[in-house]
Amino acid sequence: MTSLTSRLKGRSELGVALLLGAAGVLVLWDAAGLVTPYSKSDPVGPKTVPYIVAGLLIVCAVMLAINVMRGGQGEVEGGEDVDLSHPADWKTVLPLAGAFVANILLIDWTGWVISGTVLFWGSVWALGSRHYVRDGLISVALSLLTFYGFYLGLGISLPAGLLEGIL
Amino acid sequence: MDVFSSLMDGFATALTPMNFLYAVIGVVLGTAVGVLPGLGPAMTVALLLPVTQVLEPTSAFIMFAGIYYGGMYGGSTTSILLNTPGESSSVVTAIEGHKMAKAGRAAQALATAAIGSFVAGTIGTTLLAVCAPIVVKFAVSLGSPSYFAIMILALLAVTAVLGSSRLRGFASLGLGLAIGLVGMDSVTGQRRLTFGQPLLTDGLDIVVVAVAIFAVGEALWVAAHLRRTPANIIPVGQPWMRKQDWKRSWKPWLRGTVYGFPFGALPAGGAEIPTFLSYVTEKRLSKHPEEFGKGAIEGVAGPEAANNAAAAGTLTPLLAMGLPTNATAAVMLAAFTSYGIQPGPQLFESEGPLVWALIASLFIGNFLLLVINLPLAPLWAKLLQLPRPYLYAGILFFATLGAYSVNLQAFDLVILLALGALGFMMRRFGLPVLPLILGVILGPRVEGQLRKTLQLFGGDPSGLLSEPIAVGIYIIVAIILVWPLLLKLWRRSRPQAVPAGTAGPLPQDDQAQAGSDLRMAEADGGANDGSEMAEATGSTNQSVHARRRQEEP
Amino acid sequence: MSIIVGYVPSSEGVAALETAITEARKSQKLLVVVNSSRGDALVDRRYVQGDDIAAVADRLKAEGVEHLILQPVRGNGAASEVLQAADEHQADLIVIGLRKRTPVGKLIMGSTAQQILLEADCPILAVKAAPRN
Repeated sequence: MTSLTSRLKGRSELGVALLLGAAGVLVLWDAAGLVTPYSKSDPVGPKTVPYIVAGLLIVCAVMLAINVMRGGQGEVEGGEDVDLSHPADWKTVLPLAGAFVANILLIDWTGWVISGTVLFWGSVWALGSRHYVRDGLISVALSLLTFYGFYLGLGISLPAGLLEGIL
Repeated sequence: MDVFSSLMDGFATALTPMNFLYAVIGVVLGTAVGVLPGLGPAMTVALLLPVTQVLEPTSAFIMFAGIYYGGMYGGSTTSILLNTPGESSSVVTAIEGHKMAKAGRAAQALATAAIGSFVAGTIGTTLLAVCAPIVVKFAVSLGSPSYFAIMILALLAVTAVLGSSRLRGFASLGLGLAIGLVGMDSVTGQRRLTFGQPLLTDGLDIVVVAVAIFAVGEALWVAAHLRRTPANIIPVGQPWMRKQDWKRSWKPWLRGTVYGFPFGALPAGGAEIPTFLSYVTEKRLSKHPEEFGKGAIEGVAGPEAANNAAAAGTLTPLLAMGLPTNATAAVMLAAFTSYGIQPGPQLFESEGPLVWALIASLFIGNFLLLVINLPLAPLWAKLLQLPRPYLYAGILFFATLGAYSVNLQAFDLVILLALGALGFMMRRFGLPVLPLILGVILGPRVEGQLRKTLQLFGGDPSGLLSEPIAVGIYIIVAIILVWPLLLKLWRRSRPQAVPAGTAGPLPQDDQAQAGSDLRMAEADGGANDGSEMAEATGSTNQSVHARRRQEEP
Repeated sequence: MSIIVGYVPSSEGVAALETAITEARKSQKLLVVVNSSRGDALVDRRYVQGDDIAAVADRLKAEGVEHLILQPVRGNGAASEVLQAADEHQADLIVIGLRKRTPVGKLIMGSTAQQILLEADCPILAVKAAPRN
């Protein structure tokens, strides 16, 4: 690994510290905004724990920043199917997130069967499968199966959307 | 025999056709996810949390328990045949197990793992049935100060002891507690962290949080680092053992069980330490020490038994006190919560039939696992040929479905994606996920307990120390937090054991921390690439060494 | 000038390899053995590793055939890897193994052999597995 990339990596972890700090400040600010009269039945009140949590987050943020500046590094999580020898593959992750977002946008309008098909097909594509037709068939079958499975088996009616009346 | 008759009632409930069916579904699913790469029991139970809305609690928990035990069995199959242990608890099994498989003894390795798991699981479950009521008896005698202390212990022990960096553990805990704060305060009705969003008033659904962190975060993380080379699997026939193998296996099974159960029951005990201890013990006691490192059957039998006994042990604090000690138990606790069941000492009383049916189903599940694992091992190994795109797309698909079906609102999916991104980031930067989940689940309960306790004492904080048990627990908490410092002092007193630190001293070191617990967190938060012990203890440690060096003439 | 053989560890694959060895010895050409994997599953039984691939190499050495073993793993199907190898090595013969397929199986899985037959620019020798005695 070149020194440039390792230095960049060290710096990117400062983002985590920033996030922790921001979360801490947010919790603090929110708790400060609560108005509560002192009550005998609840001496602790709704503010105390948020203050403690905010304190914990901010202290962690500061110490993580110090730790990272000194060259500390989190241990990247491995796994059975994880190959850490290559850097994060954004060409896979971003389309995957795209399929996910598409589902969020579509689900109320087109209904689960269509949005779920888009989600599964898009995810499979993003992950590198190129059997378009086979994947399409599997996606549709899976969406239909879960739609009816949830309706008949669990009594949950997922939105039918555009296909209302057909399904 | 109170336990015995309760347990028999439990068997009667668990053996009804419907519940038996769920047990079968659970163990089959559990084995499958244990075998499949990238899926674990915690993620699977999280993905199945939505069924809690429609399924009877008893059936749901019978299924979840089957998944939990099944995951252990399946995990050993992959570590033996592929040398890719899915969970840290089966790392030790892989050492000798894979060597055995390479030497053409895969069938024996699988057999001793499966039968050992059965033996340990059965003994462990018996211990659970015997111990849990005793623990409950003890726990109900505790007042709320002690109970509050125990919850603090559970939170801090998992945060501080597990994982390689305490600082990152505490950061994760803080995030979890913050997520747990979102929503209406149950005492005053104040809205916290809702930002005027009516959809946030009820808080973040634990199902959504668990699915996001365990399933979406994991799927995205694996997708970013997909292994592209096929692993070399060792072909296997049906597992079986010779008389000789039985002779060499049965003692390690029993010893492994003895190690596993207590560690599983301790907060933050986990399965890693007992599997490792078992391995070391077997190596020392074996009549064939020369075989260790080349595929000794004792080295599979012992750790695998320890692993499963630890799984049974984990359920003791969960059922008796509502304290989860690992990820799967945490998600199961979430399931209790989403049923509106209050886990804790009252559980045995208020939900007695459910708990006993669950324990009975563990015996049944264990037996089923033996039956489906011994003859079907070659079939399970076939699962590994499932193309990854389908596997991970499937995880995302069912994660979405599960999270959406809770409230049928697309807003939950936005939360799901956001928290999934958080889960991705945590894996990238080595923040452990368990403290976060525990923070989300236990945080609100800890707060409730704190307020209840102080209400009893009119707001006087010393009320928290009004019970001797509570004081005792706080001392344990203090020891856990100060432990690294003690370790350091000990190392310092034996200078030859410490390689000289590399980094120079830094001025912030002495002034930065006032809080005693967080000082410890920082102490261990240094470079943790799993390199050297001296490296791993981190920056403060290094500066201590550096200072020591300066003092030396 | 070379002979390409698509090799998988199955009776069809072995039959194809044997035929290809015979052909290569006859014509004294370079034998290119292609054994690929898409690399999209944790385990791919068609991908030969360790001792097994060494055994194939030894066999070829023993036969005295000039040879090259290719094991690409880059997300492509077996057909395109064979075709690509044929292109690079200016193949004048491709040897493949054929197996029996049910009509439904053909519909779902597509056919590696079919794609090679349709797209290759050189003669193709299709071999069936030796009948079991």
